[in-house]
Amino acid sequence: MRELWRQAWTIARKDLTLEFRSRTAIVSALVFTALVLTVFNFGRDPTAVSTLDLAPSILWVTFTFAAMLALNRAFQLELENQALEGLLISPLDRRSLYWGKLLANLAFVVVVEAVGLPLFVLFFNVAVGHILLPLLAVMALATLGFVAVGTLFSAMVVRTRFAELMLPVLLLPFLLLPLTYAVQATARLLAGRPLSEVAGWLRLLAAYDIVFVAVASWLFPYTVEE
Amino acid sequence: MTIAQKGRWLVIVGLVLLGGVYVRALAFTPVERFQGPAQKIFYVHVPAAVTTELAVILMGLAGAFFLFLKDLRLDRFAEASAEVGTVFAAIVLTTGPIWGKPIWGTWWTWDARLTLTLLLFFLLVGYQVLRGAVTDSGLRARYSAVLGICAVVLVVFNHLSVYLFPTLHPQPIVIKPGKPDLPPAMLLTLLLSFGVFLVLYVGFVMQRYDIARRRGEAVHG
Amino acid sequence: MGDTVPQNAGYLMAAYILVPTILIAYAVSLYRRSRNP
Repeated sequence: MRELWRQAWTIARKDLTLEFRSRTAIVSALVFTALVLTVFNFGRDPTAVSTLDLAPSILWVTFTFAAMLALNRAFQLELENQALEGLLISPLDRRSLYWGKLLANLAFVVVVEAVGLPLFVLFFNVAVGHILLPLLAVMALATLGFVAVGTLFSAMVVRTRFAELMLPVLLLPFLLLPLTYAVQATARLLAGRPLSEVAGWLRLLAAYDIVFVAVASWLFPYTVEE
Repeated sequence: MTIAQKGRWLVIVGLVLLGGVYVRALAFTPVERFQGPAQKIFYVHVPAAVTTELAVILMGLAGAFFLFLKDLRLDRFAEASAEVGTVFAAIVLTTGPIWGKPIWGTWWTWDARLTLTLLLFFLLVGYQVLRGAVTDSGLRARYSAVLGICAVVLVVFNHLSVYLFPTLHPQPIVIKPGKPDLPPAMLLTLLLSFGVFLVLYVGFVMQRYDIARRRGEAVHG
Repeated sequence: MGDTVPQNAGYLMAAYILVPTILIAYAVSLYRRSRNP
């Protein structure tokens, strides 16, 4: 068990080192997030709809796209230089490959969200200080849900044609549920509803995460076996 | 008779029986007081929706069995079920708006059944898109199985989530336990229609399976 | 109470014709594809 985590951590560290050494991917993702937020500003009429009504949607659609972008590059690294075969021949447990990728993807998306949230607060003048902790909890749970399934699917699509198009088509149906839960929770938090009203949505998110992390980690070896 | 021929006969029988259901629905089932005749769209819309969901679940189960048994016939069945499911989904998604317009005044609503069927439709299309993008049959079967299993888990989770957290604002469900509260005459028409759609499903899947089988054998010899 | 039942049989006919059309179209598609897979 410890060995699994050690291997996963090694894989995650490898990925993250490569990512942040070249920085292209993370910078592009951050810029993309800022651009999406900007698009949302121009895609609405502030006199017709209050920002607070739209805010949860804006935040979560932005994060969904950002997660998708992050996941698209998940296995690109291996595809170039056929590193995937190298990983598979190594004595690494297949399951640790999933966990390692999951960790790396999570780290990537967390960085994007860590920049995205303050930008969102700035652009749309939404106060989140008083609800920051619960909001972070929603973000953590929803992101885990996005990335758990996304890591599994990105392993599959990387070997297909039109991978960048394929991933959203396959993944988005699975993101609809955690997205709904996250938006509902965020909307209630921003509206100042008591935490008891938010708790149910958090529980749904947690349930989704537990189920899909389990299913994805169990299925992952089937996507890379020979 | 080959599987395909049997399937064709089943479909013909199914279509004739569908006519029978029509007769029963139009002439021998009461008109709903407040919705009027358009309510009878229900008798094709609901069975189609249930059949779509059945198609998805069987597609996923076949995939799961394939991962364990490695029998490509299971994969071919899944392929067939996916395509047939898409056809039934199209029926739901077209009859839904036709029903919705006179009843609710709007072509589309995000009601439980339509939303779930739309989700199923996306899952089915995604499944077939994935299959189209992978040329190696073994890899394709494995990938499809993975996606199919995830799809079934998602659908089951969606249904169960209502029961896990009943105090929340109602979420999409199509199937609920307990007796349906339809008058007996309407219930019977509905059940007969379920049977007809099931017959059609089986007939179509048999034909589509045969196509998949012949394609697969052409490749492998 | 006592309002007349809504007159929307047109929609019913549209749906009841659409369904077998889709089913028959699919059946034909399957038949043609079985000729040359």
